[in-house]
Amino acid sequence: MPSFDIQAFFQQFLYDPKNPLLFNNGFFVFFFAVFIALYYRFRNNYKIRRYIFCFFSLYFFYKASDKFVVLVILSAIVDYYLSNTIYRAEDKTTKKGLLVLSIIYNLGLLVYFKYTNFFIATVNDAFHAGFNPLNVLLPVGISFYTFENISYTVDVYRGHFVPVRKFTDYLLFLSFFPKLVMGPIVRANDFIPQINKPYNISETDFAKGFYLIISGLFKKLVISDYITLNFVNYIFDDPSRYTGMENLFAVYGYAVVIYCDFSGYSDMAIGIARWLGFRIPVNFLSPYQSNDISVFWRRWHISLSSWLKDYLYIPLGGNRKTTWVAYFFTGLFFAALLIGSAHLLNLSMWGGLAICLSVALLFYLPSLIKKDDKIVPANLNLMTTMLLGGLWHGAKWNFIAWGAMHGIALVIHKLWMTLTGKAFGQINNKWWYNALAVFITFHFVCFCWIFFHADNFTIASNMIHQITHDFSFSVWGAFFDNYKPVLLLMLLAALLHAIPDNYADRIIERFPKIPMVAYLTLFFAFVLLYGTFKTAEPVLPIYLKF
Amino acid sequence: MNSNRRVLVFVVYSTAFLLLVSVIAEIYHLQWPGFNRVNLIADIIRKDTLIVSDTSDKSLPAPEMADKPHEEFSLYKKGHFITDFSIDTSKPSLKGFVQKLHELKNGKKRKVRIAYFGDSMIEGDLLTQTLRKLLQVTFGGTGVGFVPITSPISKFRQTVSDDYSDGWEDENFKSGNNNRLFISGHLFRTSGAWVQMVDQTAVDKADTIEKSLLCGYIRKPVKIAVNDHPVIINAAEAFNRIIINNTTGTGIKLSVADAQLPVYGISFESSSGIFVDNFSFRGITGIEFARLDSSFLESVKKNNPYDLVIFQYGVNMLYRPNDKNFSWYARAMLPVIRKFRNCFNESDFLLISTADRAFRYEGEYKSAIGIDSLIKVQAALAFETNSGFYNQFETMGGRNSIVDWATRNPSLANKDYVHPNHRGAEILGNYFFDAIMNEYKKYVVSLK
Repeated sequence: MPSFDIQAFFQQFLYDPKNPLLFNNGFFVFFFAVFIALYYRFRNNYKIRRYIFCFFSLYFFYKASDKFVVLVILSAIVDYYLSNTIYRAEDKTTKKGLLVLSIIYNLGLLVYFKYTNFFIATVNDAFHAGFNPLNVLLPVGISFYTFENISYTVDVYRGHFVPVRKFTDYLLFLSFFPKLVMGPIVRANDFIPQINKPYNISETDFAKGFYLIISGLFKKLVISDYITLNFVNYIFDDPSRYTGMENLFAVYGYAVVIYCDFSGYSDMAIGIARWLGFRIPVNFLSPYQSNDISVFWRRWHISLSSWLKDYLYIPLGGNRKTTWVAYFFTGLFFAALLIGSAHLLNLSMWGGLAICLSVALLFYLPSLIKKDDKIVPANLNLMTTMLLGGLWHGAKWNFIAWGAMHGIALVIHKLWMTLTGKAFGQINNKWWYNALAVFITFHFVCFCWIFFHADNFTIASNMIHQITHDFSFSVWGAFFDNYKPVLLLMLLAALLHAIPDNYADRIIERFPKIPMVAYLTLFFAFVLLYGTFKTAEPVLPIYLKF
Repeated sequence: MNSNRRVLVFVVYSTAFLLLVSVIAEIYHLQWPGFNRVNLIADIIRKDTLIVSDTSDKSLPAPEMADKPHEEFSLYKKGHFITDFSIDTSKPSLKGFVQKLHELKNGKKRKVRIAYFGDSMIEGDLLTQTLRKLLQVTFGGTGVGFVPITSPISKFRQTVSDDYSDGWEDENFKSGNNNRLFISGHLFRTSGAWVQMVDQTAVDKADTIEKSLLCGYIRKPVKIAVNDHPVIINAAEAFNRIIINNTTGTGIKLSVADAQLPVYGISFESSSGIFVDNFSFRGITGIEFARLDSSFLESVKKNNPYDLVIFQYGVNMLYRPNDKNFSWYARAMLPVIRKFRNCFNESDFLLISTADRAFRYEGEYKSAIGIDSLIKVQAALAFETNSGFYNQFETMGGRNSIVDWATRNPSLANKDYVHPNHRGAEILGNYFFDAIMNEYKKYVVSLK
């Protein structure tokens, strides 16, 4: 007879490094039920409601990352204090000094926790120095709340809004549990005004929240997890063991995975927030439907790209001028390009220089054609933004290379528009031109994902080598037979992606009030589907290469 | 209208219902896999019985011990150890082989050759490259040994760089037409293609390296081109080893014009020392060797003798998560090993067990539940054929070690939870070398 294990029961309330809290843990179900009961009970007492919210958010954070919860609290205290001091300061210099202090503090923490090991490893590689790695652990969510802190103090400094007077308002803005772990990056002027408002949600909010939560869970837990475990991991681990066909589909598979992961998590966060009466702007808008790379960046991880635009690209000088910072980073980029072409592409000094010159020419050509000397600074700022944006995703050269590729693509796109803007006026609207543009954009994005996901350059280049040199349609039959469920899920993901973004809204509008039983049934159907996929017999790799 | 109450109602109802189903499932032991993974209270319930931990196949008895009173079968369970099942573990295993190592160490000029047969675990010269390097540093010798003409993973292999033209036809264990295959499981034919190889293992560039063409029988002398110079060769035996170049260079180019000539590969060896031939063939279990006939194997023994023959298979028997019975394998593999033993009657034989391999059981990667019984079968094969045995599974850490290896940072194994990567293979190579050295040292001590 099974018995209740009291010790294991209490253990559940503590942080478990093997099983950190996520939306799909069983513990989250209880967590959310207790939270919602209390939140509902005290919905009209804003102060208690806020305290409950802060407590649960911090507890969530503790269950997700142990002692690092202290960092969030510390950051909240420092930035709350600094932003109010900036606001009260009389003269511009003091304001500026305090802002710099806040940025140094926030970026300092981020750099220390996220990039220390990377810098040590890079220095060791470059100068054969023998520094010991510090093995700093990365606190969950630090990349997200650091950016939220920075945008907050910058906005206060710019006078866009008055800093909050209540500390718990700020703490909640920072630690709001639905978005704490994987974003979206929330803006204070969107979010804070919603904290002390009546808990009012419409039937549409309820329905849309439900839809976002379930579809987010489906994308993350069913599609993404299944494809990752049963296909993508095998191939990305050691591409040279597999044929070009398998490698190509692994890249497509990863494109599905990264989208479903990221947007699935965002959808869950936005959906949960919506149920609690908070509106968080949409974070992904079917990005693979983009017909050029700049459209892609307006649809992919919107909260990040708009943050980078407002707090990095524009301060760098935006479209008008540039500063030493952009020169510095672009200079670093060209240096890395030169070194990289020698060490990774085995090019001679002259080959490397030729590549650098061609890229520099890309930066310069549009201004020559348009006779507008502001385009060069804009390109330098853009490149810097993309390089740092790449680095934000993780402390690896691969991410920087990924950012650089997207940066160059944006510059090329600008050049292309300059060259063809008028000439292509006739065919720009043609469906085939559009389809071709979507196809090219998607494949370029996929190409960059190889570098984003591969563990190192060798794996990335092996993968590209397999796709370009070892591709044969003859393996399709065996490949399809083995990976049928994976391929069907990829197809399903593609179909879901092809549905227009407002389709769910239109459906929800049509049904004024869906009965609770329907929601519960749908939810349980999902739970069983999830359970089935989790226990499904694993698809094992086959080795088609002979 | 405010729908906030609906959120509460939904969450309370769904949680309560999920909880209720979970409790019922626990109390009544309902085993529905789809629900087990989403059971809300599974973590806080003490189960009566644990999942069976000993998975060895009880139906398979240990081999008959009666006629071998000085041997102990259970020695196979020991890791980091080459056993010949002798109760007296102070005596060396692989005695003939370590004796030849000792001759090399004492300055005798001779070749000592190892044939290392395996599946994808040693593909790309993984493990064997480490073993070869360590052995050659200790006992002398330069050269990567046998290299097949073409290979789909040749770019992956670090110890040889190669280039070849189109037009090589590869007959092998998996293709339809395959009756004169080499012990590598391949045979190449061409009329006009070329191949170029550079041995990347040579440390001392001053060493002379024999480059030999390994090929099968052809009725009349045939013209080939070595480094673009025409050469006439006579391949009159079932298996031929023909030195086509004997210089200090590490590279060779070969062109073949006559498709009648069965080409097997090129071998790189200095005139004396120890050599390790890597014979990897993806996806096989070893029983494929049944189709090589004895007269051919004897010809290989005569012209390219091996002092130690190693078989390392197993992972391809474990292709289904729930298999536990491998007696079929014992039945199929026993005659294969016996045939090899008869043909290579002066060689020592060593069977290496499968390494760890994991499957997902209820969402969590764990060692294949049949792995213990497979290893027992492999050990029994060694025992029956008087071969040595080396337990790779225990050596790499035993149960669930592949899970540990794949999830480490940096990882030691691939995420297929089957293949150690180059880092992991290097560790295995070092372990195996140490195990050989242990036997070698026992031999040296026994001389005193």
